[in-house]
Amino acid sequence: MQDNHLQEEKPPLFPSWNYWYILVVAWLALLIILFYLFTKTFS
Amino acid sequence: MSSLDWIVLVATLSVIILYGVWKSRGKQSMESYFLGNQSMPWYIVLLSIIGTQASAITFISAPGQAYTDGMRFVQYYFGLPLAMVVLCITFVPIFHKLKVYTAYEFLEQRFDLKTRTLTAALFLVQRGLSTGISICAPSIILSSLLGWNLYWTNLIMGGLLIIYTVAGGTRAVSYTQTLQLLVIFAGMFLAGWMVVHLLPENIGMKEALQVSGKMNKLNVIVTDFDWKDKYNIWSGIIGGFFLALSYFGTDQSQVGRYLTAKSVKESRLGLLINGLVKVPMQFLILLIGALVFVFYLYFRAPLFFNEAQLARIHKTEHGAALSALENEFNSLSTTKQHQVKDLAAALDKGEQTAISTAQQALQATEDKAQHVRAEAITLIKNADPAGDANDTNYIFLHFVVNSLPKGLVGLLIAIIFLAAWGSIAAALNSLASTTVVDVYKRLYKREESPEKYVRMSRMWTLIWGVFCIAVAQFASGLGSLIEVVNVLGSWFYGTTLGIFLVAFYLKRVGGTATFTAAIIAQVVVLILFWMEVVSFLWLNAIGCMLVLALALVLQPFMKKTA
Repeated sequence: MQDNHLQEEKPPLFPSWNYWYILVVAWLALLIILFYLFTKTFS
Repeated sequence: MSSLDWIVLVATLSVIILYGVWKSRGKQSMESYFLGNQSMPWYIVLLSIIGTQASAITFISAPGQAYTDGMRFVQYYFGLPLAMVVLCITFVPIFHKLKVYTAYEFLEQRFDLKTRTLTAALFLVQRGLSTGISICAPSIILSSLLGWNLYWTNLIMGGLLIIYTVAGGTRAVSYTQTLQLLVIFAGMFLAGWMVVHLLPENIGMKEALQVSGKMNKLNVIVTDFDWKDKYNIWSGIIGGFFLALSYFGTDQSQVGRYLTAKSVKESRLGLLINGLVKVPMQFLILLIGALVFVFYLYFRAPLFFNEAQLARIHKTEHGAALSALENEFNSLSTTKQHQVKDLAAALDKGEQTAISTAQQALQATEDKAQHVRAEAITLIKNADPAGDANDTNYIFLHFVVNSLPKGLVGLLIAIIFLAAWGSIAAALNSLASTTVVDVYKRLYKREESPEKYVRMSRMWTLIWGVFCIAVAQFASGLGSLIEVVNVLGSWFYGTTLGIFLVAFYLKRVGGTATFTAAIIAQVVVLILFWMEVVSFLWLNAIGCMLVLALALVLQPFMKKTA
């Protein structure tokens, strides 16, 4: 088994994992807003 | 099915099996059999996670759900991205650091053997039974729609994948899931495109969405709160969060997927990108159902989509009453065909008064048609109390079998098998790893040769495969199987998650307090379910909170070492 999983590797694209977490939560918020507008537009 | 459909079906399934067998070659150790030597890149982890969660029922049931209840089912997945973040912060680094084979190994390091064994046992019971039901549910639908023998369908649905799962372990599971998902996505995209293509010439995607929306099928967001309502934004975010956290964090069928990643980074990326793509993916699958609803406004829908069941009722004393209801329903369908054209024309012109009038007329006829359908369902229940009176899971496949061109039908049927195989293969691998690592190796044979452990791992994968097929053969009389699977999960997930959250976040709480809290919480959850106090989705949150609270309360009464 390799030991490289024990190291805290830097994430791709962003300087830290916190940016990835923010991206996921922000994406969910954006989707909910878009779905809300979708619901209202076609209702 | 036509000959071309059979060729496509057999060829697709054969390619997957051969690919799985090819990926199984090489010498195995327990590490490679259950962890794939921790060598998988993030995109294999991602597709494997998606392939494990998306069972056959996901692709059969979700479009039917949108057809009957609109797209609000997508809210069920809103808690998932949040759960992915928590998993990446807490669960993933610890599991990787401790080099565990199963999630339950960690519990002995943190608490004690009895807590590890209890949690592993809860998993084996829940996953073993639900996998059997997962085999049976699509088999019943396919055998009913296509006139296949149920027992043989169960055998193929749950049996063929055993070949590569036993031989290749987790590596074969992950790689076949990747190929399976590529075929599934291509097939579902084609099906979605065909729904719109088959609509009348002047009706495109925009018009179909407008009509669907006016008939309240595009109700993606529901903000009203109700404890007993399964799908609103609140139950989706809160209940869905606990469900997803429990499923991805404590269910070995998922933990085993991201433990195959070559590093914490690859595990995290797989999970986080799953958090980005899962909700849009479910949205698109549900959208197909909302479009199929529009299709059946323009073309006559059957009174009940499980037509084999309908044919059986026709042969009983209730046949005449059923025929009368069918005639009434067909007459209303003809009226709807005219009214939907009026609505589309009004929408095209953008005249609000005309739109409102046409919408109300169509909705009134639809309500009448639903009333007739409800009468028919009551009649079916009376005529065959043991039969499944819910036809939601037949809607999409009825459309596939009766409306799609030759070849594509075979591909869509193959997709049902592939989706089933992806989740069943991961389940068998996880059942075997838990049995071998948490029971056999831990409790009985701590020092065996690596070859013996691999032989045992293969043997237990086979035993669980046979067990799940046996459960499937007996499960056909349980009624709505999808609901059974969901309810079964909600009985145990909350308690299991509670145990893990105590382990991660309540450092002062010991094994005995957690073990006792888990037993009490499990009993309370079962009582709440039996008393029908809340919708099943809330049981996950309640079970989890109970374990956390009870463990904190009980800890001061325990000895320091416990």
